[in-house]
Amino acid sequence: MKLGQAVKMAAKSIFSNVGRSALTMLGIIIGLAAVIILVSYAQGQNAAMKAYYESMGTNTVQVSASTWNSSINVSQALYDYCLGLSDHVVGVTPNGSVWSDTKISYESKTLTGEDWNTRINIYMGNDQYGLCNDFKIARGRELSYLDIEKLNQVCVLGSEAAQQIFAFADPLDKTITINGIPFRVVGIYQSKAQGKNLGTSENNQWILDEIKRKDRMILIPSTMTRYFNQNRPIEEYVVKVKSSDDIATVVTSLNGYLSGLISENNGYFSVGSPETWQAQENEAAALQQRFLGGIAAISLLVGGIGIMNIMLVTVTERTREIGIRKAIGAERKSIIVQFLIEAAMICGIGGLFGIGVGYVGTLIVGKLSFGIILIPSPGVTVGAAAISVALGIIFGMYPAVKASGLQPVVALRAD
Amino acid sequence: MLIEIKDIYKIYNEGKESEVRALDGVSLHIDRGEFVAIIGASGSGKSTLMNILGCLDIPTYGDYILDGTDITDRSDRQLARIRNKEIGFIFQGYNLIPALTAYENVELPLIYQGVPLWKREELVMEALEKVAMADRWKHKPAEMSGGQQQRVAIARAIATHPPIIMADEPTGALDSKTGKHVLEILHTLNEEGTTIILITHDNGIAATARRVVRISDGHIVADGTREEVGL
Repeated sequence: MKLGQAVKMAAKSIFSNVGRSALTMLGIIIGLAAVIILVSYAQGQNAAMKAYYESMGTNTVQVSASTWNSSINVSQALYDYCLGLSDHVVGVTPNGSVWSDTKISYESKTLTGEDWNTRINIYMGNDQYGLCNDFKIARGRELSYLDIEKLNQVCVLGSEAAQQIFAFADPLDKTITINGIPFRVVGIYQSKAQGKNLGTSENNQWILDEIKRKDRMILIPSTMTRYFNQNRPIEEYVVKVKSSDDIATVVTSLNGYLSGLISENNGYFSVGSPETWQAQENEAAALQQRFLGGIAAISLLVGGIGIMNIMLVTVTERTREIGIRKAIGAERKSIIVQFLIEAAMICGIGGLFGIGVGYVGTLIVGKLSFGIILIPSPGVTVGAAAISVALGIIFGMYPAVKASGLQPVVALRAD
Repeated sequence: MLIEIKDIYKIYNEGKESEVRALDGVSLHIDRGEFVAIIGASGSGKSTLMNILGCLDIPTYGDYILDGTDITDRSDRQLARIRNKEIGFIFQGYNLIPALTAYENVELPLIYQGVPLWKREELVMEALEKVAMADRWKHKPAEMSGGQQQRVAIARAIATHPPIIMADEPTGALDSKTGKHVLEILHTLNEEGTTIILITHDNGIAATARRVVRISDGHIVADGTREEVGL
């Protein structure tokens, strides 16, 4: 018997009992839809997390230290120590921020930063600030070594800050004032939010906002502490290492050095990198994903068992038909193929519906928000469809073999 | 010689107290072109004999030579081929597949034989015309009378042009007039050269056959013309 004939026969049998076929498919539909939604969820989480940590800078170590032992200049010592790790380190910048509320003015416009959502942060760093924090210059230039040394009152704007202060005007070489102190704009950074793909869902907004917050900044020379924060030294640094392999080494070295410098009763310090934080989060996320994957797998398995049940019922119901087919010359193989194709087709059609329901479900969950990012994956979809057909074949095998093994005379006797 | 069975036994629960010998050493020859009626009371073993002759069942002991070939130890697959090509079955209960139309039912053995579509169409319509059911080709079994269903079943049996037709009580479920019509079709087929083996408990129907085999308690007790058998 030809495969085409077998497919026709299977289709005929499926459509001759639409109600039962639909109920059988239900298990597969729910199972597949669950898999697709859960995988989209997991992928969305991953992408969001990756984007978030990348916006903090890649291959960086953040270190801060403070002491009330006035005989130690922690700030300078830490800076010198970081520079000494030159085998592993490509750049070091102070990473200070202005704590107090600031008033930023340009011509007649003044921004107070009272609203957290539009607040512009003022950072203090050196000529390597952009390198260390993964900011790239869009126009103009970075701070220079001389800007730091000569206490030049210049600044570099983040893209959102430039937008807020200048709207459509060109900020370069304009002078803004921060708390009344004039700063000349020498450069503008590219946006960090640009080019981040977080799917089509509207719910990526919060993560984009989080990333945009990093663009809402003004960088001034680290030596400007004389005007801000009551002239307190900057005790936080961002260290850019050569490659991700160097992160662990640098973290270990810094921990060793700082624990020698600062004891528990005269200060505190912390060393960390976005990569290690991300790794910790990833571990938790992976556990969660495995758990969700397990649930999805169980629902698919239940769907598969449903198929087997129905196929067994079908075999029993159609014992006489099997007998007739055998009597008029159907080989064992033909009967097996017929029932397997029937099972595979039920699962395949169910799989298509499942994919549809899964995608619609993704859209609905995406619209309902909950701050969840969903990114459906074509690979997983194709895989899921293949799994559903495979389920049909696997769970259809037993009933098919059972059906084919009947002696024609026994099968014919069935009512 | 077309069919030759030697010392066929069909024993259920052999060696146990409940042992049943449905066939107890049966030997039979049937030549090409014969019209043989096998008669006997119910439980005599006549249906078991037909099942074995039709390769629907396997004897416990004994040899079966079909058209000069010993098929006693043939595999499942080879027996399926024999059922498909050599033998056409007609059952008392018609045994049509309810979900399929008359056309599709008749087509089925041709599909299993691997006959291409264009050839199938020709053979199916030819077979349906022979039983005067060509105009009902679209109908499903439930939409036909018993006699019509049996005629479709005959069409299915003859579609592959098998040399042997086995009919198990083909008129059992039909009124006498329709039954007579079915019987006429079988005789026409026989005149065209098909070997017919007819199983029945109805002496009147058996009497239309040239040769009658009477079976009782798993033994052949008479074999000859209807006069010789005493009908």
